[in-house]
This record gives sequence, structure tokens and C-alpha cells, in this order.
Amino acid sequence: MSRILVAEDDPHILRLISLWLTRQGYTVVEARNGAAARDLAQAEPVDVLVCDVNMPGLDGLTLIAALRSTGWVRRGVVVLTNRWDHGDLRERLAAEGIQVLPKPFSPTRLSEVVAALLAAVPVEPGGRESGAP
Amino acid sequence: MRGADKTPCAAPARAAVPRSSPRRPAAAAGTTLGAADSFFKSLERVTDAPGGELRPLRECARLMSVQQTGSVSRPAGGPLQRLWWGALPEALSAGCVAVLLAAVGALYLLTDDAWEAAGAGRRLPDGLRWWWGLITTAAVLVIAFLYWRLRGQARPLAAVQRNLEQLAAGVERDLATLALSDALGQVAQGWNRLLGQLGEAQRQLRTLSAGPTPENVLARFESVGFRRVLDRLPFGVLCVDARLTLRYVNDAAAVWLGRPAAELVGLPVAQVVDNEAVRQAVLAVRTRASSLSIDHTQTDGEQETTLRFRVLPPEDGAAGGDVLVTLEDIGALRETERARDRFLYHVTHELRTPLTNIAAYAETLTKPEFEDEQTRKECYNVIVSETRRLSRLVEDILSISQLEVGTARLNVGEVDLARLLRQMVQDNLGAADEKQIDLTLTLPPKVPKLRGDKQKLSVLVNNLVGNAIKYTPRGGQVQVKLDVTEQGVRIVVRDTGIGISPADQARIFEKFYRAADDAVQSVSGTGLGLAIAREVARLHGGDITVASALRQGSTFTVELPLTRSESTEVARQ
Repeated sequence: MSRILVAEDDPHILRLISLWLTRQGYTVVEARNGAAARDLAQAEPVDVLVCDVNMPGLDGLTLIAALRSTGWVRRGVVVLTNRWDHGDLRERLAAEGIQVLPKPFSPTRLSEVVAALLAAVPVEPGGRESGAP
Repeated sequence: MRGADKTPCAAPARAAVPRSSPRRPAAAAGTTLGAADSFFKSLERVTDAPGGELRPLRECARLMSVQQTGSVSRPAGGPLQRLWWGALPEALSAGCVAVLLAAVGALYLLTDDAWEAAGAGRRLPDGLRWWWGLITTAAVLVIAFLYWRLRGQARPLAAVQRNLEQLAAGVERDLATLALSDALGQVAQGWNRLLGQLGEAQRQLRTLSAGPTPENVLARFESVGFRRVLDRLPFGVLCVDARLTLRYVNDAAAVWLGRPAAELVGLPVAQVVDNEAVRQAVLAVRTRASSLSIDHTQTDGEQETTLRFRVLPPEDGAAGGDVLVTLEDIGALRETERARDRFLYHVTHELRTPLTNIAAYAETLTKPEFEDEQTRKECYNVIVSETRRLSRLVEDILSISQLEVGTARLNVGEVDLARLLRQMVQDNLGAADEKQIDLTLTLPPKVPKLRGDKQKLSVLVNNLVGNAIKYTPRGGQVQVKLDVTEQGVRIVVRDTGIGISPADQARIFEKFYRAADDAVQSVSGTGLGLAIAREVARLHGGDITVASALRQGSTFTVELPLTRSESTEVARQ
């Protein structure tokens, strides 16, 4: 079962993403801030990281940089951004192969992006699960 | 002695010399005064300034006015005439004595010689004849002395007359040439004083009636206090002449240019402003119809100032006219723009969060895979609570911007603080009960009425009590207390909540600031409540402070003066 780490400071959004991805059949790990997310990924690597940019303490971009260098995120990253200047940010992140979803975002779209990330990446033997339940 | 008695009456023929002397200068004085009068009148005609400015001049003309028609027969005609007629009795009496003596001497000699010729042989002794000769000589000398003295008086008056005529004809003359010797008595001194006042009036007149060249415009500004107005302007004003030197610098410009205005005047622009573009603009603007604008950044130590020079073309388009340069510190303007951008950024960020939730949960409700009762209920609850949050946020943003911009007006009335606090505690009891928080209110036996805005003070108290409940864990305590102090009243809201770190205490009253603490972030809030509370307290002439320690609770104290000073209210508007 694919393991998804969701780092988001707003409890309602965190709950919603968790609700949707769980229904997709993934294992969802929740983190309320960057530091907690880093610790969770370190404890057990994840397939996909869904994270907010603005978070107290360790922000989303720092978290991504830290996790990618360690290989604790195996397949891909989706960034939810609240920023006005996300156009600029999106270009920068897209160059690194990171998906960006501006808020307000559609949970349907998020599910599709996560499924695509999991589908696109070559899978280790026996580790692949279907994106849909 | 009958002959001697008659002599005064017969005297006029012989006394013509002393009598005619005062008459000639007196007639001259008449002409002189006529010239003076027309001179003053011409001055008055030239001047169309307000009466007050030229009062000394008018006074002068009034005092000097004479009847130009007819003779100067009336001694009370004017001060100059009085000067002349004042000398007359003295001259007349001395003249009469001299004429009498001369006549008696002549009569004696005639009769003596006649008798001798008739052979009467009655001749006076020689000694007596000598005495008569001596007396006659003395009489002649007295007459000569009087003539000399009166001519001495007439000469300066004749000079005064000539100068007055020239002045009236418009020839530039120094007023000092009209002065009389103070030795001529009080009237002469009075005349000199009038000349002094006239000189002053002339100087004012020259300033007022000079042509519209820039330096005269400036001189006119000065005379009516415009310089003071210019010096109080919040932006700089420079006047640059055709040789690119500063002709005028107001106070604000002097401050930005870092030197006193008096030192700057007369210096070349290039020496004062280290910016070639400004110098070029001053040159270029003479051939343009519109102004030029140059931004110039200068550093003074660590402080960086960005000045905007606006160079305006000469008013009349004259190539030689002065160029006006205005100066403003756009650093402050840019800081305001940055603050506005930050505010806008925070507002959009804060608005997006509830909007995101509402949109995402609504979308969830449309999906068949989330049809179970529990999920649907959860979605509805989030949508309702986030809609409330959105509406509260909009209200808070509106309040804080009104309070900060100063458009918020206090609806001042008598406020019963005890009642207000009871009401606010009552309103928050529901939220407190939900978390099993012990919410208490302590009031003093007597609470004075406060002048203030009841509605805004309610918001202040509600924000403090609401925060205390929000950030206090289940089962804690929130105490609201009112104290009467010497200066006014003190509202204290104390909780046993999560507390605020010293670093955050310094910033919690800033708008949109929320402590990074997880315990804070897990509670929904706009980051505006305390900013609004502080603005309301300050609007009432008071302030708000916080004392706190992490995990030990916080105490917010609001001090409100009972008599809010008028100056505070005015300053805030």
C-alpha cells in the first residue's frame, strides 16, 4: 500500500486530504508542521509528500529540500500553495519535477495528481499498488 | 519826545529790510509746502496698498497740508509756517528797537545841524554827540545781525524746497537732504521725525510696488509672512536662478539637504545636490512646458533617504526666470506602499484559508464515495464554521483598517463599564462551559462612568475574553477584573492558558501576527483581535499591556483614563 505523507498546518485541510487519500486506498501519515513531517519520513520513508508552503517552524520548501536529498520521499512531491507569487514558485518547482496546486484546490484534482505520480514512476517489485481502490 | 513817539508809525519805510526778510522766506516756505504736499499726494496715488501699511505717510501728508491758493497769511497753516512765524515777534521787537534808535539819532543830528545853521548856537556838548553816534552804529549793527540770522534760516529751507520739488517730479533723492537742523527748534525736530517715518513708508512702498520678477515676488512673500508658510510645508521648496545657484531654500529642504537654509542660499545646485540629473533638469526645464521628476537616493550614515526632486519650469516661461524645485521624501511613501502590500498579502492569505476549506468540503459533498452520514455531517460543520470564520475575518479587517486609517470615529457616550463587562462575560459563558473553564468577573463596589464608545469597548473586552478562553486548555480558569485607579480604570483579563513567549509578547499586537507555537496554530484566529483591542484602547487615550510566561497563563491589562484628553481625540482624527 502506497504511503502518503501530508504536511499541512490547517487542521480542516489536513483532515480533508487525509479523508480523500484514505478513500483512494493509500496509507496516509499526517503532520501539522514541517519538523513533524521530517521526523515521520525519517522514521519510515514515504512514496508521495503532499505539503503546504507556509507552515510554522520548518516551512514546506525547506522540508522538500531536506527530504529529497535523503531519499525519504520515493516517488514525488505535491505542493499546495497559498502564495500570490506562486506563478514564479511553480516554475521553479516544476523545473525540479514537483507538482504545484494553488489554494483553493480541488480535492479531486489532488487525488488525480497523486495517482499520476504513483503510476508514472517505475515500481519496485511487489511494491506497486493501484492508485484507485 | 512826541517825534520819538511817532517813529514806530513812520518806521515801515526804514524797517523794510528786517520785515521783508521773513516775508520772502515765508513766501518761499509756502511754495516749499506746496511742493511737499503734492509730493505726498503723488506718493499716495502710487500706493494702492492697504491703508495700514502707509499710515505714517498719510499722517505726514495731513500734517504738511497747506492751502496753496492765496498768501501764507494764516500762521496756523502748518508746522513749517509756524517755524517761520515763531521767529517773527523776536525779529519785530529787535527791529523796532533798532529803528527807534536809528530814527532818534537821525532826528537829533538833523535838528542839531539845523539849529547850528540857523545860528542859534545851541549845540549839544561833544561827549553827548559821541554817544548818539555810538548808539546809531549799534542800531545798524543789530539790523545787520538780524538780517544775517534770518538769511541763515532761509537757506536750508530753500534747499529743502528745491529737493522737495525734485522729489515730487520723481527724481530719486535721499530723504536726508530734506532734514532740518534740530537747532531750529521743536517744530524742526518734528519735521525730521516725519521724514524718518516717510523714509520707512518709502521702503515699504518700494518693496510692494516693485515689478513681478521672482526675487520681488519672494520679497513680497516675505513681507506678508509667506516665508513662514513655506517653511512649515512638509515638503521642500528650492528656488534656483539662471546661474544655477540657490536663491531660496525652505526649512524642509534645508533639513533634507543637511545644512541650514542660510548657508545654502547662494550656493550652486551642483554643490548641494550630488546628482547630475537634477542639475541637468534645472537647465532643461527652461525650454519645456512640463515639470521633470528625478528620484535621488542619498545615504547619511546608515540612514538611506530617497528624495524626489520635481523641477518646475519658470512661471512665465522666461529663460532667465527662477526655476522652482520641490522635494519630497518618497522613502516614507514607499514604506507606506510596502505596508499596504503586506496588509493585502495577509488579507488574501487569511481569506484563502476558509475559502479553500469551504470549496474543498463542498466538493466532497458532491462525490458519491463520501455519502456516509458521518462524513456528510463533518463536511457541513466545517462549511458552516469556515463561513463564520470568513465573515468574522471580513469584519475584523474592516475594523482594523478603519481604526488604523483613522476613519473610525468614536461614538462617545457614557459607558457603564460594570454592565459592559457583565454582558461580555455572559456572552462568553457558553464557550467557557464547553471547555469547562471557570470564567469569573470581579467588580469594585463603585464603578465611575467612563466617556467612550460602548460598541468599540465591547469589541475590546470580547476579544480579550474570547482569546483567554480559546488559548486556555480544558478545565482552566479565566478571571476578568475591573479596578478603579487614580488615573482611571483598569481591566484585567487573566488566564491559566498556554502563555506567550517573550519574543511573541513583543509582537502579538501587530496585525496578522500569530505565535508560531503549535498550540496557537491549532486554534483558528485571524491575528487581528489584539491589534483591534490595542487600537480601541489607544483611541480612548489608554493602552494595553501583556504579562505572560509559557504554559503559565497570560494577563492582559487595559488602562483607560476617565477623562480622555481632547488632544488625543484630535490627534487621532
